[in-house]
Amino acid sequence: MAKEQVAGFEDSYEVEGKMALPYTYFAGRVGSKFITTIRDQQKIMGVKCPACNTVYLPPRQVCDKDFTDIRDNWVELNNTGTVTTFTVVRYDDRHLPRPAPYVLALIQLDGAGTPFMHIVEECKIEDVKIGMKVEAVFAKETTNTILDIDHFKPAPEKISIHALNTARKQWNPADEPATNEKRKGGKPDMATPVIIAAALTGAATMKNQNPSVPYTPEEFAEEAWKCWQAGAAMVHVHAREDGGMATHDHGRIKATHDAIKDRCPELIVNLSSAVGMGKTAEQRISQIVAIKPEMASLNTNTMNFGIVERKTGKIFIDYVFENTFTMLQDFSRAMEENGVKPEIECYDMGGLDNTLLIARQGIFSDPMNFNFVWGVAGGQAFRAESFIAMMNALPPRANFTTCGVGTDEFPCIMQSCLLGGHMRVGLEDNIRMPDGRLARGSYELVEVAVSIASALGRPVATATEARLIMGMKPR
Amino acid sequence: MAHHKKNRNVGIIGIGQTKHSSHREDVNQPELIHEAVRLALQDANLTMKDIDCVVHGNMELFEMVHQPDLWHVLGTGAYGKDCIRITTGGTVGATLSCASDNLAASGMYDIVMAIGFEKLQEGHTTGGITNMADPLWFRKIQAGALTGSSAYDVEREFGLERANRASLTYRIIMDKHACLNPNAHRAFGLEFSQIDDLIRTSPKLVGELKLIEMCSQSDGACCVIFACEQKAKELARTPVWIRDHITVHREETFNIFGYDRKVPVIKTHKFAAEQLFGRNGIKDPLNYFDVFEMYDPATWWAIDWLRDFFALHGDEHLKLVENKEIMIGGRMPINPSGGVIGSNPIGATALIRVAEAALQVRGNAGPHQIPTPVKHALASGFGGTMWTVMTMLEKELNW
Repeated sequence: MAKEQVAGFEDSYEVEGKMALPYTYFAGRVGSKFITTIRDQQKIMGVKCPACNTVYLPPRQVCDKDFTDIRDNWVELNNTGTVTTFTVVRYDDRHLPRPAPYVLALIQLDGAGTPFMHIVEECKIEDVKIGMKVEAVFAKETTNTILDIDHFKPAPEKISIHALNTARKQWNPADEPATNEKRKGGKPDMATPVIIAAALTGAATMKNQNPSVPYTPEEFAEEAWKCWQAGAAMVHVHAREDGGMATHDHGRIKATHDAIKDRCPELIVNLSSAVGMGKTAEQRISQIVAIKPEMASLNTNTMNFGIVERKTGKIFIDYVFENTFTMLQDFSRAMEENGVKPEIECYDMGGLDNTLLIARQGIFSDPMNFNFVWGVAGGQAFRAESFIAMMNALPPRANFTTCGVGTDEFPCIMQSCLLGGHMRVGLEDNIRMPDGRLARGSYELVEVAVSIASALGRPVATATEARLIMGMKPR
Repeated sequence: MAHHKKNRNVGIIGIGQTKHSSHREDVNQPELIHEAVRLALQDANLTMKDIDCVVHGNMELFEMVHQPDLWHVLGTGAYGKDCIRITTGGTVGATLSCASDNLAASGMYDIVMAIGFEKLQEGHTTGGITNMADPLWFRKIQAGALTGSSAYDVEREFGLERANRASLTYRIIMDKHACLNPNAHRAFGLEFSQIDDLIRTSPKLVGELKLIEMCSQSDGACCVIFACEQKAKELARTPVWIRDHITVHREETFNIFGYDRKVPVIKTHKFAAEQLFGRNGIKDPLNYFDVFEMYDPATWWAIDWLRDFFALHGDEHLKLVENKEIMIGGRMPINPSGGVIGSNPIGATALIRVAEAALQVRGNAGPHQIPTPVKHALASGFGGTMWTVMTMLEKELNW
C-alpha cells in the first residue's frame, strides 16, 4: 500500500509492510511444570542447583553457571518478593499485556536467587520503588503462561517480630513472682512473653505428606531459620537420614544440631529423646549426653503410640512407646547432670503424676517445664477442662507449653496462650494450616501462633527471654 | 583465490547430535541444544571449562526469537565465555564449521564449540523465508526452497520417465540410509519396487516435484568441537582434520527476477567445487573422496547437483544414481546418514553434514558407517540466497 508522498520525495514512495505470524513455543517439561503448578496449585516453584545453591526462577533444566542437571530439584518459593528494578511502559501496542502506562518490574521472590519479569499493579506508578515488597496475585482464568500469575501488588511490609521485640521492655526474672501471684488467683498473666517452639519434623512426618519436612542438616537449618524469622525461640528436632528415616546416629544428629546453630546461633535447639520407633533406651539417651543440647524432650509414661485412622478407627500401626519409671528417672538424671533442660512431655494426667512422683528424688532443677500433648493415638484428646486440670496440678514455678496432633493444634495452643502458657506448632504435629491447605513449612504455623499471641496482646518471647523463663543458663 | 594461509591446523575432536524428530514438546530450545552439547562434551571427554568460545547458529527468526544465542546460554554453556552468533540461512551450519575452523586456526581460541539447532515445529518457516526478497515484486511467490524448476530441467534433458525414476531411486536410497541412522527423523522403510507407485501417488507440489521428494521439517541440534592441532593431538585419539573450506554466493540470480534458461539459477556449487578442488590439486574428485555428505533439500536438486560437484558430463551423474553407486557400499556413497531428506533441523543441517562426514572418517558412525576405510570426506552446505559452502575433511595430516 503506497503512502502519501512526503514533501521533497514526490518522485518516490514507501511500501508499508505487515507481519502477523502465528508460531508455537514448546515450554518443555520444566517450563510446563512451572506453569501448571501455578495454574493448578497457585504455588510458585523454582529449581535449586545443589552445586552452587542458586535457586532459579523461572526454573531451568541446567544450571548455566556450572552445567549441573537441576531439572528435578524443585523448591517451593514464597508468593512475596522484592522489586529489584522496573520500567514504566508508556506506549500502547497490541502485543502488550496491559494498556499503557503500566509497570514492568524485575521481581526477586523471597527464597529465589534470580529475579523474573512481571507486572506491578494496584498502586500508583509513582509509588513503585526499587526494594518494595510485592505479592503475587493469581489469575482467575488460566492462559497457560506466566500470566497465570496475573500481576504483583504491593505487599504490606511485615513488621519483623524481632523489631517489635527490640522495641518493648524485656522480661526478666524479677517479673516471675508477680506472675505466680496472679496464677494463684486463676488469672493468667498476659504480660509474660509467650515462647513459641517449632517442631520441625518428628519421627513420622514424611516429605510425601508435606514436602517442607526437612531431612538433611541443610534443610533443617533452612527451616529453623525461617521459623526463627517468623518468631520461634526454639526448635524441636528429630534428625533424619537423607531418605527420611529417623536416626539415632550421633554424627547425623550432631550435624543437624550444629547446622541449625550455625545458621541461627540464638535459637534454642531441643532434641528428642524419643528419636523414633523401636529405638533402645541407650540409643535414646546416649545422643543427648553426647551432644548436650540446651533442651531435650523427656517422656513420662509407657503408652500406646499408634497410627489410627480418625474417621474409621482402623488401626494402621500399633506400637507401645516404652517409658518405664527407671527410664524416666535415668533420662531425667542424665539430662540434668549434663546441663540439658528437660521438656517434660505429658500425654495425660498420669504422665504428669509419674513425673511428680519421681521428682521427689530431687532430680529436677527449678523451674520445671511441662508440655501437654494432645491427640496422640494412645494419649488424650484435647479438652479445655483437661487442660485446666493439668495446669492446676503443676508444681509452683513450673512452666507449661502445649502441642496438639492434627486439628487439635490450633485450639490447644490458643488455650495455652490464653492461660499464660506457651505454644508449640510445627510439621511434627500438624502439616496443615487452619484453612486446611498444606503449610508451606513449620514457619507458616509459627506465623499462626504469632497471630494468636498478638490477638491476645501477648508479646512473643525472644530466645534470651525464653532461656530466662525456662531456667536455662544464658547463652 | 587466496587460501591456505592458515596459521595452524584444526581438527574435529567432539561430535554430538540429538535424535532428529518432528516433535520435541518435552524440551524447550536451550534444553534441546543442551542434549547435543552434553553428547559432544562426552564424546570429546571434555567439560565446559575446556571450551574457549561458543559459535551459535540457527535460521534467523525461524523460532520467532530475536538473538536466541542470549537465551540459549541456558543450554549452550556459554555463560561467561566468548560467544558468536552466525546466521547465513540454510548454510548456517556449514558456516559455523568454517568460522570455528577459522577461530581456532587463527590462534584466537584453542578449543571452539559450534552449535547448530532448529525447532521447526515452533516457528513459522514460510513467514521467515517469505520476507527475504524484494517486497516490491510480489515476494510471497517465493515460498521457501522449492525446486520445481530443477525437476523441469532434468525432465527436459533426460525425458520424464528417466528423470522421475532417477529422482525416486535417489529418494529410496536416502530412505535406506536413514533407516540405518538412529538419529534420522524420517525412515520409512521404502523399497525400490515402490518407485512406480510413489510417482503416481505422492502429491505434486510444483510440476514434477513431489512431496515424497522434499526434505523433512525437523527439530534437532548438532554440536561439534574444534581444536587447534596441538590440542587435537593431545585430546583426541582420532581427530578429523579440516583441510579446506570454501564459501560462494550470488544473490542476484534468485528466482524473484524471473527464470532465465541461459543463466541457470544455481551454479554456485559448480563454481565452488572447481575453485576448491583446483586450489587443492584434486583433478578427479569422484575418485579422491571416499564419501560425500551433501546438503540435499530435495531429490531433484540432489541428482542435478552431483554433476556440478563432481564435474561430471552428460548423464554420468544420473548413472551414478541409477546404478546405486551412491549407496553405502557403492563407488561414491552419498549421505550415509540419510541426508537432509532424512532429517532437516535447518540451522543444524549443514553442521550435521560436517559432523556425519567426520564420523565416517573416524570410522565410528554406527550402523550407517560405510564398509571401506574413509580417508577423504566432503561435506556441502546450501541455502538461500544461493550460498554454497564446501568442507574437505582428512584422516591424515599429509596434504
